[in-house]
Amino acid sequence: MELPDTRLSRLIDPLLIRIGEAISWLWLLLMITIVGNVVLRYAFGEGRVEFEEIQWHIYACGFLLGLAYAYQADSHIRVDVLHERLTVRTRAWIELYGTLLFVLPFIAVILIFGVPFVTASFHMGEVSQAPGGLPLRWIIKAALPIGFGLLLIAAIARLSRVCTLLFLTPEDPRGAE
Amino acid sequence: MAPNEILALAMFASFIVLVFTGFPVAWILGGLAVLFTAIAVVIDVDCGVPIGMDWAYTSLTVDRTWNVMENWVMVALPMFILMGLLLDRSGIANQLMLSFARLFGRLRGGLAVTVAIIGLLLAASTGIIGASVVLLALLGLPVMLDNGYDKSLAAGTVCAVGTLGILIPPSIMLVLMADRMSMSVGDLFLGAVFPGALLGILYILYILIYAWLRPSVAPAAEVEPFNFEAVVQLFLAILPPAFLILAVLGSIFFGIATPTEAAGVGAAGAMLLATVKRRLSFAVMRDVLRETTRTTAFIFAVLIGATAFSLVLRGLGGDELIERVLLNLPFGPNGILICILAATFLLGFFLDWIELTLIILPLVSPVVVNLGFDPVWFTVLFAVCLQTSFLTPPVGFAIFYLKGVAPPEIDVMTIYRGVTPFIILQILGLIIIFKWQALVTWLPAQAYG
Repeated sequence: MELPDTRLSRLIDPLLIRIGEAISWLWLLLMITIVGNVVLRYAFGEGRVEFEEIQWHIYACGFLLGLAYAYQADSHIRVDVLHERLTVRTRAWIELYGTLLFVLPFIAVILIFGVPFVTASFHMGEVSQAPGGLPLRWIIKAALPIGFGLLLIAAIARLSRVCTLLFLTPEDPRGAE
Repeated sequence: MAPNEILALAMFASFIVLVFTGFPVAWILGGLAVLFTAIAVVIDVDCGVPIGMDWAYTSLTVDRTWNVMENWVMVALPMFILMGLLLDRSGIANQLMLSFARLFGRLRGGLAVTVAIIGLLLAASTGIIGASVVLLALLGLPVMLDNGYDKSLAAGTVCAVGTLGILIPPSIMLVLMADRMSMSVGDLFLGAVFPGALLGILYILYILIYAWLRPSVAPAAEVEPFNFEAVVQLFLAILPPAFLILAVLGSIFFGIATPTEAAGVGAAGAMLLATVKRRLSFAVMRDVLRETTRTTAFIFAVLIGATAFSLVLRGLGGDELIERVLLNLPFGPNGILICILAATFLLGFFLDWIELTLIILPLVSPVVVNLGFDPVWFTVLFAVCLQTSFLTPPVGFAIFYLKGVAPPEIDVMTIYRGVTPFIILQILGLIIIFKWQALVTWLPAQAYG
């Protein structure tokens, strides 16, 4: 769907894209870590718990910080049987209500319960339960609210574009797309 | 019916209806979870009707998401995506097409068989459906059409074969299913090997028989003679993907590596292949990594949304409702299982594999396992149903992907006509796997030395 850019989205979107592009290199790092761990295990006959933990730390950061990037790029599969027959304005209304009723409340729930989840871990001084595991568990837990925080910013930018289309752009008299 | 069960039904029905608005499924799922918690709390507190739901319960979504974050097995998912995308760019498929076409081209239907074999080889080395359909369409369609193949047959072959990637291990769908079923990814991978091969063989037999009965749909093609040089070429083309398949599946089979390690090593192998073929530049690597981020994040967005949805649905008693309905069906255990598979098949016309895996599979699996069925066998049957859902109109993603890259003379109706026989083959395959359970269970039983 072609949405008009707004001052807000021109500010936010490039930033989100840059973050998404930067964290994409994590997958290469993850690959190297896995291969390294396998080599280490066969060369020295022991797997290291730290390395296994680092792997899921990288992966969790990758998918959580990537959420806003995927949202911004609109790379979600949509069921477009009906969708592609709708006019741009109807789609924009769906987008508006969907964002207000579904996206924002869901982000709110994750943030409201996710932030105490991290602070509790911080105050407990929680560490990995595995022997030789990584310390400072709250840092990786923080990836969840950070990821959803970025998603919130992306949703607001998108909302501004949808509202501009609906309320500030004169309706095309032909009703064409 | 209790008030909470009415809410559970309403929640599920809202989901099915809202999917058709085209709004991203991940947010519909997550949003409905929040919305129905709010409704339940209002009814509970303000109307005095006990529902037994509160916000503390829904807040468990955060803990469940954390369980996904610290799940080491799921690390395999982005690595298999990366491996698939790298293989796509490595150019091995072009080479396979050229050499197999020389081997089979003279045969009636030979080019379609070539596409099927390449699809099988790619399926075993990648796990992303969109990528394989697009790749096969770009490689195989022009060749088949130039040689006078029937448009429906050509389109149907590309679609059907392209979907095998989702079933034949390593497959990201199987990783997700194993996670939801709390079973070993290795067992599920190995269980899906023979059923996947069986479907491939059914496709090839169908193409050969159809071409033999009606030569006009798939005439013999003019190709270079198959000589010694061609044998060498074919060998060199098969070697890299075959090596990768053996490395990934073999190391899981012999217990040398976990699926996560196999995925990471597989991605490294694909990267090496692309480098050797001089297809890997900085720009390609950068694009592939970005694509990996988008695909992975999209899948996990649905995963987190579905986690919240399933949690609330269970809180409202949705799973007990399903269990009661299923167990009250007037059939024996086999009948119940067939009903579940038939319902999944029908839902597959409207929903796609991610939603069915994340929402339906956890709902029905406890019932199936309690009835005494082998969980791996059931999951493979379920997986074949979901693979079919890619082909079934109106919401068949293989059809969408093909339409996106096919030449304009191939319209949607041509594709629908083309996939119909393959959907029938899928059902035939399902029946065979249902009858001969050992097709699934034999290989995992031999594994791990």
